[in-house]
Parts: sequence; C-alpha cells; structure tokens
Amino acid sequence: MTSSKVLGTFVVNGEPHEVAYAPHKTLLEVLREDLGLTGTKHGCELGECGACTVLLDGTPVVSCLVLAQEVEGRAIRTIEGLADGPDLHPLQDLFAELGASQCGYCSAGFMLAASELLERNPDPTRDEIRAAVAGNICRCTGYIKIFEAIELAAARLRGEQGQPTREMLYGS
Amino acid sequence: MNPFELRNPDSVAAASGAAGPARVFKAAGIDLLDRLKERIDDPDALVNLLPLGAELGGIGRSDDGTIRLGALVTLQQIADSDALAAPGLRALREACGEAATPQVRSRATLGGNLLQRNRCWYFRSAAFQCAHDGKGDRCLAWHGENRYHAIFGVVDCLRVHPSNAAPPLMVLGAEVEVQRGEARRRQPIAALFPDSPAAATAEHTLGADDVLIAVHLPAAAARGGSAYRESREKQSFDWATTAAAVHLGVEGGRITSASICLGAVAPNPWPVDDAQSLVGEAPSRELFEQLARRVFRRATPTEQNRYKVEVGQAILVDALLAAAGL
Ligand SMILES: Cc1cc2nc3c(=O)[nH]c(=O)nc-3n(C[C@H](O)[C@H](O)[C@H](O)COP(=O)(O)OP(=O)(O)OC[C@H]3O[C@@H](n4cnc5c(N)ncnc54)[C@H](O)[C@@H]3O)c2cc1C
Ligand code: FES
Ligand code: FES
Repeated sequence: MTSSKVLGTFVVNGEPHEVAYAPHKTLLEVLREDLGLTGTKHGCELGECGACTVLLDGTPVVSCLVLAQEVEGRAIRTIEGLADGPDLHPLQDLFAELGASQCGYCSAGFMLAASELLERNPDPTRDEIRAAVAGNICRCTGYIKIFEAIELAAARLRGEQGQPTREMLYGS
Repeated sequence: MNPFELRNPDSVAAASGAAGPARVFKAAGIDLLDRLKERIDDPDALVNLLPLGAELGGIGRSDDGTIRLGALVTLQQIADSDALAAPGLRALREACGEAATPQVRSRATLGGNLLQRNRCWYFRSAAFQCAHDGKGDRCLAWHGENRYHAIFGVVDCLRVHPSNAAPPLMVLGAEVEVQRGEARRRQPIAALFPDSPAAATAEHTLGADDVLIAVHLPAAAARGGSAYRESREKQSFDWATTAAAVHLGVEGGRITSASICLGAVAPNPWPVDDAQSLVGEAPSRELFEQLARRVFRRATPTEQNRYKVEVGQAILVDALLAAAGL
C-alpha cells in the first residue's frame, strides 16, 4: 500500500499529458486536480448524477468510478475538447441560446453524452435523446430545454438551420 | 478513498493466487469504488480482472445451442447481443438494458452485477454498524427506514438482492463457472446465493480466491417466451423496487413449462415454486392474477414497504403476460 505518486501519460482531447499522480485516484480527480481541467464536474461521486461524464474511447463513462491508472494512454474527451478551436460545438451554442444551462453544473456531462449520441445517430427521436441522457441529472432546467437544444444541435450538425422557435426562447 | 495497490495478474490462475485477506477482485469497479469511497471496504490491494478479457470476456453460442457469457461481458453488450436474440432469452436482455444508466451499463460487468453488495443505506454507510456488516448486533432497517427492503425470505436482515441480471438467469436455468487456482467447477446459479446462517454476513457463496469465469445458458433457455419487468420510483436510472423474470413454454394453447424468479423483494433472487401450477393451463390474465395473489399472500412486509405487495403483483402479471405473448 503506497500513497506516493506515479508518472503516467493521459491523452486528453487529443493531447498527451504526462502527470505525476497518486495511483489510487479516479480519472475525475486526475482531470480536475492534476491536469487542471475543471470543466468536468464533481457531483455525487457514486455514479448517480452524470456530472462527471467524459468520453473514454468515444463511450460516455462516469469518471468518478474509473481508476485513472486503467486509462493511461486511452482517448479521453472532456468538455474542454468539445469546441473546434474558437468555434463552439452546436451543442454548446444551443445550450447557451436556449437557456438549457442554468447553474451549469450538469451541462458538461449532458453535452458529452449528447455528443456521443449525435455521432452515432444524427437524427434521434425525443425518446432516443431521453435514453442517451438518462444517466445525467439536472436540478435546474426541467430537461425540456436540454432536449430541445440537443434536437436543434442535431439539425445544425445535419446542415439544417436549427433555429429555436419563439416558444422555445420565451415560452408561449 | 484510502490508498491501495492495483495488481494486474496475467491469468485467471494468477488472479486467484493473488487473492487473500485485504485483497479484493475488481472488474469494472463500479460497485467496488463506491464501497471504497464509503469506507465500508478498505483493502490493501485490488486484483484487477479487466486485463483478462481473453479468458473472461465474450458472448459465444455453440452449435448445440448453449451460450457462454464471459464474466466480463458488460450489461450493455448483453442488452445488444444478437446471440441472445431468441424470445426465450428476452428477459435477460431486458433486465440488463433497464439497469442503471448508459454510463454504468457500458462498463458494468455481468460478474460484478451478480456479486455486487446490497444497497441497504445502513449497510452502505460507515456511519452505521449493523449485524450484516459484522460490526453491529442487529438489522437497523427493522425499526428504521425500510421502504426499499425485503418482503420475502427475511431471516436475519431486511436487505434485498440488487442484481437485475440474477432473476432472469435463474429462470433460464443458468450455471456459473468458477475457477480457484487451476481448478474449474460448474454449479447452478442458485448455489451462488447463500442460505442462512451463511447469509448472515455474506451475499454470495464464492470464496475469496474464487474467480467467476462465465455464466452458461442451456439450449432450452432460448425456446419459449420470457420477459423481465420491474417497478421503480423514477423512469430513468433507479434501482428496482420490485422485479419479476418469467420464462414460459406454451404449446397448443397450453403452458408446458413455467419458471418465475422475483427480484428486489428478498435477500436473494426469489424463485417462485408455485409457477409449476401454471403447467397444463391456458395462459390468461385471470390465471396470472390468481397466481400473483397467491404468491404475494405469503409476503411479510414491514411498516414502510407494504406497497411492494400490490406493486409486485402487478409487475409479475405484466411479466407473465409479456412472456406468454398476451
Ligand atoms: C447509478 C447506478 C445505478 C445502478 N442501478 C442498477 C440497477 O438498476 N440494477 C442493477 O442490477 N445494478 C445497478 N447498479 C449496479 C451496477 O450494475 C453494479 O455496480 C455493476 O454491475 C458492478 O459490476 P462491476 O464490473 O463494476 O463490478 P465490481 O465493482 O468490479 O465488483 C463488484 C463485486 O464483485 C466482485 N467481482 C466482480 N467480478 C468478479 C469475478 N469475475 N469473480 C469474482 N468476483 C468478482 C468484486 O470483488 C466486488 O466485490 C447501479 C450502479 C450505479 C452506479
Ligand atoms: S460525480 Fe460521477 S456520477 Fe455523479
Ligand atoms: S443547469 Fe443546474 S443542474 Fe442542470
């Protein structure tokens, strides 16, 4: 049993980072505490809220229940890697435009889970969206704006306009 | 979490050999890390099974129709598997597809799901000492908060078995394959779940150096119809409050075989012997409702979980109707 640090390389958002970290840490802890990537949020710590969702080799996982040691060298995507340089991802634009992000604590997790859905299913139904984000909890929005933002982001990614309706922005 | 060492054995025999006091096997670690964070386990080392995918992974169907599910197969792989497409196996796909959340299902392994520890809030919190965790002298749920607790088979404590995968595997007649050192053995899945008095502190019968290798399904499991239904408080991600897995054979309008196992209502997956009374009958809602009433008449609910008697009957009837194709 040791608490001394080990050296490892984590490939986050396409970039390798060499970091000295305590070997019993979770991926969430290494991302936030050792790599300074605090966009990934620390919620329940028990796999229940989805705030810590990241993509591991393209699949959404709760980083609070992944041992960092096990994912050295594997492809990790966090919210910091969702934008393309200065261009926000359509999900980020639409979460902002629609107010699908209020306190914002859940948003990174939702957007990463949704981004994986849109990669494999460019035109998801509302039920498919619900199923894909069923592991993410939001205490502010009531979810409707989140579903609408994902639908409009899907439209924009398909090359359609994806403009919010008046009702989406201001209510009826 | 307290510091621990992560060991990566290169074979199942080496993993079994690396086991010992204060060392615990880790599959995806979803249940285990939760327990380490809550300080209800404090091992010196985790023996990692995940690198053993070649021996412990994969879903395979043999020419004779038997199916092998490696212990490291994930709940999502089961839910999506073409090898499990037969109507007789639907209960297993449904149970695994409804468990937890997408983020959990994509990693949670079958072995870990069967061997995870119970969710009783007294047991899960280091702040409480109960008889089942070996630190207290009684079950705190008896006179405490017990709305999610057992209504059948209670001997020493009110916990319920949390696994979604276990009830369908029970009705499908599954066997588990276990390795200790170099020796492998097979046993019916029911033998995995302890009787009293062993059940006082244990939730499965495997020894500390027993590695669960695989779960095997007989060819007959694919025939007939099956279904899994569960009740829960929330639509998404929630543990079942009651669950029922059913496997039925129906020929010429008559039931020829019937197997039922309830989940989330007893310390172990709860097989229903009364299922045999369906054999020879024509499937109907009335028949299924009568059976459900008889089964739940024997329930022994506590103060806060009487709702499980009503809800459990409805869930059982739903599962029976679905398995019968009605
Ligand atoms: C938010 C949330 C919701 C959930 N909802 C549900 C639900 O609705 N239904 C449900 O059934 N489950 C649910 N779960 C539990 C989840 O399915 C289990 O925690 C998971 O399946 C455990 O698998 P694992 O691979 O992570 O096991 P681990 O955590 O790695 O291991 C669990 C236990 O099994 C032992 N073990 C694992 N594999 C082996 C093996 N091959 N041989 C010997 N010992 C082994 C370990 O030593 C450990 O004690 C939920 C979990 C979370 C976080
Ligand atoms: S912090 Fe990981 S799921 Fe809540
Ligand atoms: S915006 Fe506050 S939790 Fe979702």
